[in-house]
Amino acid sequence: MLADGSGGIGCEAQVKVASDWPTLLCDNRRSGGQLPQPWRAPRKSLWQCRVEGSVRSAPILDNGLLYVSSLAGYLNAIDTHTGKVRWRFKTAAPIHSTPSMNSGQVLVTCDGGTLYAIDSSSGTKAWDVATGAEVWTSAVVSKDTIYFGDTNGHMRALSHANGALQWEQALGGKIYSTASTAGQRVFVGCGDGRIYSMDAKSGDILWKTPTGDGIDSSPAVAKETLFVGSLDYFFYAIDTVNGAIRWRYEAELGITSSPAISGDLVVFGCKTGVLRALSVQTGKLIWAQRLGEAITAPPVISGSTVWIQSGITYALDLADGNILWQARLGNSLQSAPVVTEAAVYLTSMEGDVYALV
Amino acid sequence: MIDRRVFVKRTFLGGLALCLDHWATSPAYSQDLIPPAPPISVNEPAEAQPSPFRLPGLFPGRVVEIADPQVIVANRVSQPVIRWMLDRALRELTGAQDAREAWSKFIEPKDIVGIKINPSGAPACCSSPEIVREIVAGVQSVGVPVQNIYVYDRYAYEMDVGSYQTLVPMGVHVTGVEDGKLDGSGYDSNIYCEANFFGEWETRSYMASIVSSRLTKIISVPTMKDHSAAGVTGCLKNLGYGTFNNVHRSHRSPFSFTDPLIGVMCSVEPLRSKAVLHIMDGMRMLWHGGPLSQNPRFISPAGILMVGTDPVAMDTIELEKIEAKRRREGAPSVWSRNPKSLTANNAEFYENAAKNLFYRQPHHIAAAGKLGLGTSDLKQIDHRVLDAG
Repeated sequence: MLADGSGGIGCEAQVKVASDWPTLLCDNRRSGGQLPQPWRAPRKSLWQCRVEGSVRSAPILDNGLLYVSSLAGYLNAIDTHTGKVRWRFKTAAPIHSTPSMNSGQVLVTCDGGTLYAIDSSSGTKAWDVATGAEVWTSAVVSKDTIYFGDTNGHMRALSHANGALQWEQALGGKIYSTASTAGQRVFVGCGDGRIYSMDAKSGDILWKTPTGDGIDSSPAVAKETLFVGSLDYFFYAIDTVNGAIRWRYEAELGITSSPAISGDLVVFGCKTGVLRALSVQTGKLIWAQRLGEAITAPPVISGSTVWIQSGITYALDLADGNILWQARLGNSLQSAPVVTEAAVYLTSMEGDVYALV
Repeated sequence: MIDRRVFVKRTFLGGLALCLDHWATSPAYSQDLIPPAPPISVNEPAEAQPSPFRLPGLFPGRVVEIADPQVIVANRVSQPVIRWMLDRALRELTGAQDAREAWSKFIEPKDIVGIKINPSGAPACCSSPEIVREIVAGVQSVGVPVQNIYVYDRYAYEMDVGSYQTLVPMGVHVTGVEDGKLDGSGYDSNIYCEANFFGEWETRSYMASIVSSRLTKIISVPTMKDHSAAGVTGCLKNLGYGTFNNVHRSHRSPFSFTDPLIGVMCSVEPLRSKAVLHIMDGMRMLWHGGPLSQNPRFISPAGILMVGTDPVAMDTIELEKIEAKRRREGAPSVWSRNPKSLTANNAEFYENAAKNLFYRQPHHIAAAGKLGLGTSDLKQIDHRVLDAG
């Protein structure tokens, strides 16, 4: 089934079944979930394992395998029934990025600048492409093309079949923001403080909108509005057609957390440790919840629940921000859980992986 | 008052051994409940040639302070104002006519330059990216290629929280010595300080390899903060505990051996000769709850910048400022030895300025002075306070 959220904001066709979670924050618009399972507090750990190296990225889930990348340079495929590592693939450098699924292949970038396409059943390499630049961003696949940016400020579009370069576009700063795609457009935040819109086929810059400082948050798109946080302390709603700022909301410190959207709510964290829900339409504050630690990770919305990792893992009521559940599991400031009907999957900075039921 | 004898045994790589000791006098040891520090052994490379930058550096005893109320606007550091402040302070420190000439006193085009930030209080109170940007520009102004500049700290994840990788100029390396909390691969097994403080199983602290091998010059950017174990964290702690691993073992509540370990670590070569300049970030002063507190009640937008080459003199001034602020706020002195002020409850410590986790050891600054790292006598410090106008 397609995971359509209310308000017409839905995952792209990549999401085939409710148990899949094929890319960072579920879908190419970075909507952060919206799989419609009812709230149920986890009571125990189904399994727990540890992968080699610290984990800074979010896991993804596809067809019974949880994919976890680590700073030891491994992409691990973990059986969600047993918690056993079915295979692991060693890349040439640490991995900060979240992998993505595409047609039976796992795509993962490593800090050394190589994009790997790994066969999901065997764990063997199908192809790889070296960029020569450091890469922390996740690869995004849309309509047979892979998009990602590097720290030398280049956005690239590659063929999903063999990694052949389709276009390359130089932006004004380092790219730590994972791109989002919507229709024929690619959106990405940049270290030069601008949010860019590019034509998906040519890479031409359609518009660029400045903010007051660098951006490492990954944008989310709902209908014709893009949402992104900036290190200038503002959270922006930007018209995807022309780049005009529709509204902005000022926080107390910089915003690294990528937003999640559900209906008329957009949820994001601030480095002061406050999680906020704003009205998509107006930018008005609906609720705020202090969670104690700096929030740099993206929230995930699952039905009526918001999940966030900020040292402690929290589940909050989407309607009012009240804390429903918390656990000192999955110590992480940068990862995001995968929430399915069967289990909640968490990773920690120390390399622990949990399946909670 | 009981004097404490601190033994430091220095063993140089190559087999030459030398045993040093000095007398440290600390109010901390006026009470029997605080145990004496154990002997500390140091294994370090023999100094090939005395460096003019060897701590206390080119300008012993000199501290230049500048503050500007315009530098913090809506909790943001103003890039143009901090640029002006840093240029003005460096010219005063060095006597140079312009900023480029000032930078050239410390940096040569062939240098591999490390900018040692302090991200441990990120995001609320850490080395300001705006200051780091100005340092990068200054280093580049004397001809150092951007790819030869490293912004670094021990903990990669803390740097990530501060978004330094996004906020420093393109081409600058942003490097964490440790990717994980137990990652020892970034340390030099030949250079270490060894002591057994509390019966810990690992008694050595190793120097970061980036310091021992890669960098030729280090510019330290400490923040102005209270520290629950050390009293304050400033130039010395940013340099010493920010270079060696396994340092948490030096304090176990309520006791702290940050005095003398911080100073001993700063005295180890090649760290001592590579740390050429200290730029203390007092944009946001944390006067209680350090080093990690994010509590805005304890963070003052002081807007202060201090520069110097003498870390002992700079930390002495910093200590005065933290103490003065705590007095104004009605908080106990960092020298307090009142057992009633102790708590084992972190949450209480982070909310109550009258509580602390350890008997703080601000005397680590004077102890470092006795190791020859600088001047701790206020009367001997050439403290120059510049007018913002």
